[in-house]
Amino acid sequence: MRLLPALTALLLPLTALGAKKSPGDRFAEYDTKQRSASKAVTLDDRSYEALTTAPRDYSVAVLLTALEARFGCGLCNEFQPEWDLLAKQWTKGDKNGEGRLVFGTLDFLDGKATFQSMMLQTAPVLLLFHPTTGPNARADSTPVRFDFSNGPDRAEPIHAWLSRQLPHTSPPPFVRPINYVKIAVITTLGLGVVTFLSVAAPYILPIIQNRNLWAAVSLLAVLLFTSGHMFNHIRKVPYAGADGKGGMSYFAGGFQNQFGLETQIIAALYGVLSFATISLALKVPRMADARAQSIAVFVWGGVILVVYSFLLSIFRIKSGGYPFWLPPF
Amino acid sequence: MAASTTAPTASTASSSPMAFFLQGETGRNTRGLLRLIILCTIAAAAVASRLFSVIRFESIIHEFDPWFNFRATKYLVNHGFYAFWDWFDDRTWHPLGRVTGGTLYPGLMVTSGSIYHLLRFLTLPVDIRNICVLLAPACSGLTAFASYLFTSEMSDSPSAGLLAAIFMGIAPGYISRSVAGSYDNEAIAIFLLVFTFYLWIKAVKVGSIMWGALTALFYGYMVSAWGGYVFITNLLPLHAFVLICMGRFSPRLYVSYTTWYALGTLASMQIPFVGFLPIRSSDHMAALGVFGLTQLVGAAEYLRSQLPSKQFQTVIRSAVLLIFVVAFGGLVLLTVSGVVAPWSGRFYSLWDTGYAKIHIPIIASVSEHQPTAWPAFFFDLNMLIWLFPAGVYMCFRKLKDEQVFIVIYAVLASYFAGVMVRLMLTLTPVVCVAAAMALSQILDTFLVASAPTENDADTKQANGTPAGANGSIADKLSSALPDTLRSTKSPLVGIYSYLSKSLITGAITSYLLLFVLHCTWVTSNAYSSPSVVLASRLPDGSQHIIDDYREAYYWLRQNTEPTAKVMSWWDYGYQIGGMADRPTLVDNNTWNNTHIATVGKAMSSREEVSYPIMKQHEVDYVLVVFGGLLGYSGDDINKFLWMVRIAEGIWPDEVKERDFFTQRGEYRVDDQATPTMRNSLMYKMSYYNYNSLFPAGQAMDRVRGSKLPADGPQLSTVEEAFTSENWIIRIYKVKDFDNLGRNHQDATAFEKGNKRKKTSAKRRGARVLRVD
Repeated sequence: MRLLPALTALLLPLTALGAKKSPGDRFAEYDTKQRSASKAVTLDDRSYEALTTAPRDYSVAVLLTALEARFGCGLCNEFQPEWDLLAKQWTKGDKNGEGRLVFGTLDFLDGKATFQSMMLQTAPVLLLFHPTTGPNARADSTPVRFDFSNGPDRAEPIHAWLSRQLPHTSPPPFVRPINYVKIAVITTLGLGVVTFLSVAAPYILPIIQNRNLWAAVSLLAVLLFTSGHMFNHIRKVPYAGADGKGGMSYFAGGFQNQFGLETQIIAALYGVLSFATISLALKVPRMADARAQSIAVFVWGGVILVVYSFLLSIFRIKSGGYPFWLPPF
Repeated sequence: MAASTTAPTASTASSSPMAFFLQGETGRNTRGLLRLIILCTIAAAAVASRLFSVIRFESIIHEFDPWFNFRATKYLVNHGFYAFWDWFDDRTWHPLGRVTGGTLYPGLMVTSGSIYHLLRFLTLPVDIRNICVLLAPACSGLTAFASYLFTSEMSDSPSAGLLAAIFMGIAPGYISRSVAGSYDNEAIAIFLLVFTFYLWIKAVKVGSIMWGALTALFYGYMVSAWGGYVFITNLLPLHAFVLICMGRFSPRLYVSYTTWYALGTLASMQIPFVGFLPIRSSDHMAALGVFGLTQLVGAAEYLRSQLPSKQFQTVIRSAVLLIFVVAFGGLVLLTVSGVVAPWSGRFYSLWDTGYAKIHIPIIASVSEHQPTAWPAFFFDLNMLIWLFPAGVYMCFRKLKDEQVFIVIYAVLASYFAGVMVRLMLTLTPVVCVAAAMALSQILDTFLVASAPTENDADTKQANGTPAGANGSIADKLSSALPDTLRSTKSPLVGIYSYLSKSLITGAITSYLLLFVLHCTWVTSNAYSSPSVVLASRLPDGSQHIIDDYREAYYWLRQNTEPTAKVMSWWDYGYQIGGMADRPTLVDNNTWNNTHIATVGKAMSSREEVSYPIMKQHEVDYVLVVFGGLLGYSGDDINKFLWMVRIAEGIWPDEVKERDFFTQRGEYRVDDQATPTMRNSLMYKMSYYNYNSLFPAGQAMDRVRGSKLPADGPQLSTVEEAFTSENWIIRIYKVKDFDNLGRNHQDATAFEKGNKRKKTSAKRRGARVLRVD
């Protein structure tokens, strides 16, 4: 490892040799860069051009991305650490640069011209340039493109893809470094929780054993699940939609669709109906005052009627042709 | 429905003129008789509401999986039990075959086989198909009865069981899988599920080995019938575990759990498909762990009762905890080292909801494995869905062993039903039970004829208060948090005014009537289509039957060699096997992902790539489903992306999903479609010759709603053999190798050239000749 800085120092004069550089020199230059940075080389328009110009005897994998917060590319920011990690592990495993692969990152801010020239509308895009000269050259000079179509990707599938694309190299195996910080944090937290529980047990136990609490938790869980929360969670539906006239649309059209807000409304309606039922079944017959009892019966009966009727009217929006309704809605 | 709402009136009103029949010993008999009549009526209603499809269409097996079950049942009836047990099926998964006898749940087939032989013994010659068609409705009657028994164990209200029975009988959530003709494992499995739960509750309540053994017996039956038995395998241990944690461990629990586990595991291991899974897979480890725990806790309890020293009890308690933790760690170690198989994919994807989409596209592709949106809950359960939480709340009022079971079942089943549409089926029983408990509570309160007086209330109040208060407990915290529910703190009085009573009773009755209307409407409109035969309405309102599937399958049966191999997407494998009786490459069993991916690759590649694949697999015919003419949306072009995805999982470099989308990321079939799409075998076979139906340039795809390119696709390696009346099924024959050793593209071009020579210029034909 000590040799590395020394090697870098040795190579530095080479980079200064001037504009006319052979492909081998260019590879050495960028290989040194990615080794010293121990991540993918940060490129701009010029260096991107320099790195990918036609006669090259090495491969280049460039991630075109938009990291700036104002572009709001969550995928880019999620993938960037994975990409750098992949570059680091690859170069580490391929000590002598036999695979002749350079990892680069081109941010939109530094590479507007490149983005425009390729007419890229989306980010991130991963391009792999095969060598044009040398033993592993490909006749086709256009880069191979990897699509991030399955949501956020991790380093492993990219590694597998690169390995498939570069069969001539013997790609170094990808090993995720052990995250010591995470282990330490989890251990500390676990011990902390155990300590806390053993100290606070006398105070917590009555709460845990309380029946009302468990009833509330169970009911909340049931309401949450039966109002389609898991669908929101899995499909990642929007919270609310636009109705096309600048306003908000609370209910998604169609039987197989829903908004986040919509499920909350439904859960609330179910909750009100259940609560009214519980009141009618358990609370009302325990009221000692006859007058108060009749009022309560009227109120709760009315609540059930109105809310149930509203629920049916919402369901008629969702499922066209549903024939049943209740007054008043 | 009216029968069940009047039941409480009959059983609780004591001041009617028919007092003789309603009081004392005769009264009990009368009520028993009424109950029996009501239950029979409910069973009849449950069966009758499932017969829509038989009346509208005919006695026919529905959908996909039932066709395999039907075929297996026929095999069982024709060849006997032992041949069925050892059945190796060489007519599916060509050329691999399938060890069918060892890879199915035989409960359903054996049940219908036994019924068939019983009826034959009674000299009733019934066609096996009719038994298969009507098995599900018959079982639903039994399910209604089982839920009556189950609910009666939960609640002391006389009407709760009857309400649960009728809810279970007509709730669309259960009807969806048990209409006549839906001859699937779930048909008998839900009955077995509810009945096993009833026996389990009974066993825990009584603590007898007999009930525990009966639970094990029906659990074994359930294992033989449906893969969903894992739900029971995990729910019963969870119930036992929660009871132990609550400090409700009792000898009754010990006896029933150990009996069930020991006998039930042995019974489940008799099924070849299950085999040694109960001791080798993580799905079953919870049951084993709790079995060990009950032994430990049982031993500790015994020692504690023998040794009064307080320190010693602490030692025992920590020893139990320690052994439990060590055993759990050992289990984890065994799982990591691979001795115990990890969670099966299907089961695991319930917890990690993103898992299947990435790793097992074939599971994610099935429509019934999608998450459930709220309208589906309301559609399937209607008002029960909001009575359900109320019923769960009422379980907390008197939290005994059986109520704990309902609460756990409710929470878990609603989670599962939220993750997977199909598991609505396991949610429905508990919803019916809980809703019946809530509703019966209301009816019992508001249907009492006698009204209390204010004095009554005062005395009750005076008597009730000291009993309700926990003044003796010193701990302030626990007095602030009483052990009873808040809503039931004050004593029960009753309803004073008749107006309130009639108001609520009337409202509830009309809701129940609305529920009946809803269930009938849903069953009739959504769940009674066989999907093999489609129905549509003509402009004059009369019904038009679209019978393309059977037309095509019978064409195959009558016009092809009995050994002709048919390639189609796996959805149609069972139907081809059942109706056309021809060997298939893949079917709905989906046990071999690579084989399915091979078919996916053949469908989604160019002809030059597909032809060798088809030849290697000895494919004679290719069958595609095309809905473009009729607007039938469940066709292969709409399922195409799944074929691509599954093929991409195996050959990521040869098949790419991205290539089937346009630059803008749209999935199109018209002029804008990508070259990969337009050259894929599936696209070509779907739209081949389709333009000829329309005036030039007018071809429309009614499903995708898009205009097709003016020039239709050309086929060279396969030729059209059959197209059904409405073009839903198209069958192509795979050409043999060319006699002259040319490839098929050249041969086609040559023949085209020859034909064109008459009409077009001479040079064209000549050039083709020279190229050859």
